[in-house]
Amino acid sequence: METLSNLAFGLGVALTWQNILYCFIGCFLGTLVGVLPGIGPVATVAMLLPFTFGLGPAPALIMLAGIYYGAQYGGSTTAILVNIPGESSSVVTTLDGHQMARRGRAGPALGIAAIGSFIAGCIATLLIAYFAPPLAELALKFSPAEYFSLMVFGLIAAVVLARGSLVKAIAMVCFGILLGLVGTDVNSGVIRFAFGQAELADGLGFVALAMAFFGITDVVLNLEHKEKQQVFTSRIGSVLPTRADLRACFWSIVRGTSLGSLLGVLPGGGALLASFAAYMVEKKVAKPPRAFGAGDIRGVAAPESANNAGAQTSFIPMLTLGIPSNPTMALMVGALMIQGIAPGPQVMTERPELFWGLIASMWVGNLMLLVLNLPLVGLWIKLLAVPYRLLFPAIFVFCCIGAYAVDNKVFDVYALAGLSAAGYVLLKLDCEPAPMVLGYILGPMMEENLRRAMMISFGDPMVLITRPISAAFLIAAVALLLAIALPALRAKREEAMQE
Amino acid sequence: MMRIRSPKDFWAGLIFVAIGGGFVLLAQQYRLGDMHRMGPAMFPTLIGALLAALGLIIALRSFVLDGAPVPRFDARPIGISMLAIVLFGIALQWLGLVAAIAALVLVGAYASREVRLVDNLALAAVMIVFSVAVFVWLLGLPLPLWPTS
Repeated sequence: METLSNLAFGLGVALTWQNILYCFIGCFLGTLVGVLPGIGPVATVAMLLPFTFGLGPAPALIMLAGIYYGAQYGGSTTAILVNIPGESSSVVTTLDGHQMARRGRAGPALGIAAIGSFIAGCIATLLIAYFAPPLAELALKFSPAEYFSLMVFGLIAAVVLARGSLVKAIAMVCFGILLGLVGTDVNSGVIRFAFGQAELADGLGFVALAMAFFGITDVVLNLEHKEKQQVFTSRIGSVLPTRADLRACFWSIVRGTSLGSLLGVLPGGGALLASFAAYMVEKKVAKPPRAFGAGDIRGVAAPESANNAGAQTSFIPMLTLGIPSNPTMALMVGALMIQGIAPGPQVMTERPELFWGLIASMWVGNLMLLVLNLPLVGLWIKLLAVPYRLLFPAIFVFCCIGAYAVDNKVFDVYALAGLSAAGYVLLKLDCEPAPMVLGYILGPMMEENLRRAMMISFGDPMVLITRPISAAFLIAAVALLLAIALPALRAKREEAMQE
Repeated sequence: MMRIRSPKDFWAGLIFVAIGGGFVLLAQQYRLGDMHRMGPAMFPTLIGALLAALGLIIALRSFVLDGAPVPRFDARPIGISMLAIVLFGIALQWLGLVAAIAALVLVGAYASREVRLVDNLALAAVMIVFSVAVFVWLLGLPLPLWPTS
């Protein structure tokens, strides 16, 4: 009952005309940018961050959330129509979705993606409303030692599930942590690693970092590849799936939603893992299985539901623990900090309007996506025809203005240029930026909690192992590492990534 | 003779060793403290050392495991992009947002091999109008529009 009254309270916040407007703008902009091929959700959220700077915390977060699931959905549109996944989480959507488009069933594919996402979004929103409060309450009881171990576990879990070499990913986490430590040390007041630059006293700009690694370097790599995209321009037809389609998809949507919700909560999980897993399960479970890979509508419904559910439930660790489980959530945490709010379990009790307003707005946003996307599909398709040479300078403009406008410092613009070069070199050497950004966000928090834990234990590091919950997190982290290091499992992982 | 079998890993490893080692060295100018009362140098030293160690593992591993060669670095996209962004910063400080966006778009467009000047002029105009309208007027961000004398 309490959940319902909380949700009602949240709806009261989300349904003010102002917040509805921002939610709408967020969904609209997110879809608009997300549709553009080669711009994933992380880049979209990073790029559109400056649009929220002038707003208060609640509208800003509501708009960012809208941007996020808008981008997610936009990516699916591109996947179906162009066969180029706008983002990694819609890779599997290309398999059956694009086949459907080739057979003249692009309309129903887009339609079922929207409907599946909507249903998944609604259910995931309810899940967040039910599970977030108890989790936050539990987290409030955590001592610094437990918090530190939780963050170690979160980071390890995130890199284990990431692409590429594990050692490199952990190294990138360390690099991120070190970058996060640049600036004034809160305990001693010493300015660290600033090279005498007064501008670095507040730390290396998070927005500049995120935009460099996910915006500018993305553009640069795209420009190097200069692939010719061919847009699939046949008529879309009616976007409404037939009755038979809906009947076939019902269980796929249910399966996708449950799997996605579950995987979304895991650190490093979220939309990507959810959609892959859902597709693989669907291929095994759905009957009759014959048409997968050749335009089976269930092969669109399941991963699309799963990735939306996963995208939504990945808010749970972010909102309750203040720990981002993927780069997009790291951006959300960054946005909270820009708004002057320290992320963590206290947000729910101290800023209930923010917490419940955001959750309720997710439901509003999902409804909006549905009404926005079905009629506007034609517009999105036209966007696909915009050549990249006109798009990327616009991305530059948003990134530069964003980097500057956080603190009105020209220094951050130069930092953007420098970090872009660093990101470019690292990406060329197969070092993924995602773990770095997580490390950057969590670094200062880890230091703070480790310090406090050591203070309480009089410098005895055993406290991390003697406290049961803390020990459990650390054991889980080690177990994960071992599991991946073992060759048999590693082969399986490669196989899963290949698919 | 040892042979580098995975050049990508080798260089990535060296970079990590350099960064980790660099942070450890830089950290020594601050107070280290002890585990009970950790000084500002303690955590960076720990993490920096870990990073350097991981870098060493990655670099040494490159002698054993096969891997991809270092891909070609295409100087034009990254070089022009950085130049355009730096120009944006300089122009924003001295000439204001309008000139800065114009510089960013017109110079940045050359990061692509395909450049059409007329299109880019139009794009610059659109971006200026849009940015001024949305960021300055609508959102009220304090961006200087024109040269500040």
